[in-house]
Amino acid sequence: MDRRKIDVVLSTFLIIASVIILTNDNLAEGGADSEMGILFLPRVVASFIIIFAATIAIQSFMKLSKGAAMEGQEVITTDGFSGIFIYVGIFVAYWLAVPHFGFMVTTPFVMLGVAYLLGGRNWLPIILMSGITPVLIYYGSREYLRVYLPIWTL
Amino acid sequence: MFDNILSGFSAILAVGPILGIIVGVVIGITFGAIPGISCIMAIAIMLPMTFYVDPIIGITMLLAVYKAGIYGGSISAILINTPGAAASFLTAQDGHALTKAGKAGKALDMSLFASVSGEMLATLVLILVAAPISAISLQAGPIEKVFLLLFAFTVIGSMAGESIPRGLLSCCLGMLFAMVGMDSITGSSRFTFGIDELIGGFTFTPMLIGILVMPEVINVIRRRKVPHHELAITQSPNPADNHISFKEFRGVFRTILKSSGIGTFIGALPGLGSSTAAFIAYGEGKRTSKNPEQYGKGSVEGIAAAESANNAVCGSSMIPMLTLSIPGDDVAALLMGAFLIHGLTPGPMIFFEHTETIYAIFAGFLITDLFLLGIARSGFKFFVKMASLKRYFIFPCVTVFAFTGAFTAGQNMDDILVLIAFTVLGYGMRLVGLNPAVFIIGFILTPFLEQNLDQAFAIVGDDYAKFFASPFSWVFIALSVFFVYSSMRAKRKASKIPAPAAEEKPA
Repeated sequence: MDRRKIDVVLSTFLIIASVIILTNDNLAEGGADSEMGILFLPRVVASFIIIFAATIAIQSFMKLSKGAAMEGQEVITTDGFSGIFIYVGIFVAYWLAVPHFGFMVTTPFVMLGVAYLLGGRNWLPIILMSGITPVLIYYGSREYLRVYLPIWTL
Repeated sequence: MFDNILSGFSAILAVGPILGIIVGVVIGITFGAIPGISCIMAIAIMLPMTFYVDPIIGITMLLAVYKAGIYGGSISAILINTPGAAASFLTAQDGHALTKAGKAGKALDMSLFASVSGEMLATLVLILVAAPISAISLQAGPIEKVFLLLFAFTVIGSMAGESIPRGLLSCCLGMLFAMVGMDSITGSSRFTFGIDELIGGFTFTPMLIGILVMPEVINVIRRRKVPHHELAITQSPNPADNHISFKEFRGVFRTILKSSGIGTFIGALPGLGSSTAAFIAYGEGKRTSKNPEQYGKGSVEGIAAAESANNAVCGSSMIPMLTLSIPGDDVAALLMGAFLIHGLTPGPMIFFEHTETIYAIFAGFLITDLFLLGIARSGFKFFVKMASLKRYFIFPCVTVFAFTGAFTAGQNMDDILVLIAFTVLGYGMRLVGLNPAVFIIGFILTPFLEQNLDQAFAIVGDDYAKFFASPFSWVFIALSVFFVYSSMRAKRKASKIPAPAAEEKPA
């Protein structure tokens, strides 16, 4: 993947967002008056974002338009990206499931899923680890940290 | 100061802090030694567990994880030529050459002694220098602090990023994210878009774990098909090859002292970090060595130079953080977050408001070195065994710890969403060459900047020339320009040097 194309798209997005910050007064609401104004600092930062994003975009655009060959970090290798999507998917499912099924029920499945994703086929120790770790974390958090992880609510 | 140091030692020499140090050292070495896990991941995962203990125990434990983690990185570098961080690259060169020659014990010993020596020297400098600097920085008013913070943003952004615009853009993005939620000065809400959950801003711990830790997990997931390397200590039939003799240590002691000095100085400057220190010290060691040709081919002196400088950064990077509230690198930013969570605001006032705590932490720093020496020396085989665990045992646990850590911060499932969002953002930033560490530093420092800027505006009123009335303002402007200029020169020089043969670096 060509990072220079991403640079141009991302910089354009950041510039548009910054222009909105510079021009829209409805981004802050309520509160008392201050010496410098509530949107003063965000607008200063937005101005700098425009400058830096434009610098990156122009540099990348120039290289693209000249048809220059990609150098070192400009190449984004996409090998193994499917694993990333699966992992993020597992994490999102974990977030959605924990409030309903509880931490102790959901976590072993997540651990098994991640272990499988990483190539784990040594089932007995993996199942033992997936069973013991959530119990230890749950009771450890409750007894020592006073943190009550979600429980089954179905 | 001497009384404070003594009271610090009396506070740290109790069961709780000592246990914290031991746990921190064991976890730090183990995590540091596992290829693919850096000490920053260990600190971020341990951070939520310290919320409910005394700051002396919690902070000392985190610092022990930090110090031990930096050392632990050299174990995998030496044994399987896999540097956990860029700073261990040089250690890997010489250390792995020694391992291949059957002298792994010698390399590991040298790395440990050099690490501990470097850390101790830097800690002594920290103890002696921090309080006087903080007394000077107390003279600074809001205007001077604004320029100091702008200087910090400029230096860190320009030195740490892949390129100056990318580094500074990372910093600006961190600043912008810090402004989401209710403003502490006026009470108005910014960038919340009517979402009530955003009024409190982004919770720090899940964001931190998402930006700095989870991308490392994702990186391992992405490279899951790369074969697993098991760590093993090679043994030589000649016992002299399996350890460092006193004579050998004495022979490299000058190099250790000099490299520790270099590491201490570089660590005290924001934005440069341990890699720069290791490379400069290694270069200087090679320049003045009697056997420069051995460097890179299994030189014990080379390991001593790189490791002592690399580890000296640990202590001295605390100097700008504790005296000026400026975290010099990502770990210092993380530790600054830990200080804030524990109710200790880094800055000059910390030496007056929390004298006992801060000197106890300093004493803990020194004691950690002794424990590191003892624990690492006696448990090489255990740590090597632990670090050899297959990744499908380690990373499911890291995932669950990250989840629990994010939840612990506010006992709120929304924080898990913050964790997921910042995981994606953090990994995306790495892909496009933006620097997550600089992002975090921008995020942490912005509330201080805004507070001081508001006070500065109240002081100057309509007379904006007063902003530039103080010599401090001009000094910091000049320093900012100088650092940006020198960073531009350094980057231009580096771009002219042909890149080394393809070497996979952590994203």
